[in-house]
Amino acid sequence: MHTDIGLINLSLILLGVLIAVLSSGVWIAVALGLIGFIAMLLTTSVPIGSVLATTVWSASASWTLAALPLFIWMGEILFRTRLSEEMFRGLSPWLQWLPGRLVHVNVIGCGIFAAVSGSSAATCATIGKIALPELEKRGYDKDISLGSLAGSGTLGLLIPPSIPMVVYAVTANVSVLQVFLGGFLPGFLVMALYSGYIIVWSLVHPGKIPPRDPPMPFRKKLSESTKLIPCLLLILGVFFSLVLGFATATECAAWGVAGALLLAWWSGTLNRKSFFESVMSATRLTCMIMFILAGAAYTTAAMAYTGIPAALAEWVKGQDLTPGMLALYLSVMYIILGCLIDGISMIVLTMVIVLPMIKQAGLDLIWFGVYLVIHVEMAQITPPVGFNLFVLQNMSGRDTFTVARAAFPFFLLLIVAVFIITEFPKIVLVLPHLAFPPG
Amino acid sequence: MMRIILDRLYLFSGYAAGAFLVLIFGIMMFMSLGRQVGLNIPAGDDIASWCMAAMAFLGLAHTFKRGEIIRVGVLIEQVSGRKRWALEIFALGVSTAFTLYFTWYAVAMTYDSWRFHDMAQGVLSIPLWFPQLGVTGGLVILAIALVDEMIHVLKGNKPSYDKEPPSSPDEFVERIASGGGG
Repeated sequence: MHTDIGLINLSLILLGVLIAVLSSGVWIAVALGLIGFIAMLLTTSVPIGSVLATTVWSASASWTLAALPLFIWMGEILFRTRLSEEMFRGLSPWLQWLPGRLVHVNVIGCGIFAAVSGSSAATCATIGKIALPELEKRGYDKDISLGSLAGSGTLGLLIPPSIPMVVYAVTANVSVLQVFLGGFLPGFLVMALYSGYIIVWSLVHPGKIPPRDPPMPFRKKLSESTKLIPCLLLILGVFFSLVLGFATATECAAWGVAGALLLAWWSGTLNRKSFFESVMSATRLTCMIMFILAGAAYTTAAMAYTGIPAALAEWVKGQDLTPGMLALYLSVMYIILGCLIDGISMIVLTMVIVLPMIKQAGLDLIWFGVYLVIHVEMAQITPPVGFNLFVLQNMSGRDTFTVARAAFPFFLLLIVAVFIITEFPKIVLVLPHLAFPPG
Repeated sequence: MMRIILDRLYLFSGYAAGAFLVLIFGIMMFMSLGRQVGLNIPAGDDIASWCMAAMAFLGLAHTFKRGEIIRVGVLIEQVSGRKRWALEIFALGVSTAFTLYFTWYAVAMTYDSWRFHDMAQGVLSIPLWFPQLGVTGGLVILAIALVDEMIHVLKGNKPSYDKEPPSSPDEFVERIASGGGG
């Protein structure tokens, strides 16, 4: 079986097979497994089947991974509560004075929901459910409200907990907690960029923002916002247990579920049906992601036999690439990939080859996780495949490309955010280093 | 009759996966709270990891049948009719063959663990084949589901993972928000 066909040929064969099977509709996890299988078939005489079985077994029986279904479940429970209405009513009285007024509810509402949910489409749908019709009723410009919602929904991925961050941390073998902590400040940065853009936009287009709602007495404002307190307490609880190291990521996720159940019970939306649905929905999403992760774990193991990762690292070394240049090249690749496939597949499909390169270039792995997640955010709002676009297309009745055009400025702002964190990596690393002093 | 038995098999293994999720939650909470009062489950983290593996694989067949295992749909959705059918058969054929191969070796791994009395490394030393059963069992059920689906599509039926278009925007949003990869 063992033949020497050269690394370049081997890489081309593998890439060709991957593209062929993916485009003919083979499930992503299977396609990954198949690539690993072919790679091993062509390069080694190690028993392929037993490597497959044992790698998948040891990769999936993992304590760190147990955080994943719990964070997913937490989001599923909250998605079924009335948080969406409470968010709009609690936030809107306070944002009337800003240029852009209630459009900022999209940004801040998504930012808050992102801190309890790890999914972008769910964040976008939860906040949009109420905000979109309310903004339309008041006569806000449709493009700015759709675009800001599409963009802000992606904060669900950047502000922890975050499903793609867990996926990244597991594939790159770094601490989930540190990647989570790395996401907080960039999350605020993106919110600031979004809100800043909305302010500037509404100053330039004064006619497109309707006048403010009738003023509300201060006490009324406060009482409208008190409904948000349980949610904020949940966020603070999760945040502080992470930063102060009270709990591991996995335990923290369990506390998050407990908090979410309590919140759902308190708001009266927890019943047998919603509980059951949240469990099954979380189970299916977990199974889907775990299947891909299992395929990726096996491909990573198989690739090590081929020598391709080592050769790539060697190549990067020979090119004298600065970390900044490498980041730039990878950005271009991820933006193109992000148009075609979803974020989680994008992470696992590329990790095998990208990881050795960035290690060689000396980029920080925690930083890279956050950088990668911002690209996954872009993938959510770039056509033809972008989950936030699909959500908003259906909520607003407009076609994908109209929504994508509305979201385009926010896509550019995400690119700005990538530039900023590449130029100032401290923004990402300061919190992880605070909680886990390096060296 | 056969149809009902198979569908129940997928559904109930999905429920079993859901039960493992609740169990993971229970173990974590018990460990976290128990530590405060000096109670601890020996090897609780090992048990949680095994539950995790069992959950991930037992739910696969159910997830597959519900069409929630993702693939790249951009190209395949452009074709229809006979060509689409051929592509579906190709995708199913590749996936079934690979899954059968994988399942065979997972069964072999579990059988070896049993034959050689492999014990778990850790505080809780139990025979390793027992937790491995979750993964292997899940794969066997997935393999059955794939073969079943293959026959179903070969007979000229529409694939069951290919969901009906949602009847309302709300339903669509719910599907994406709770099932998608984002």
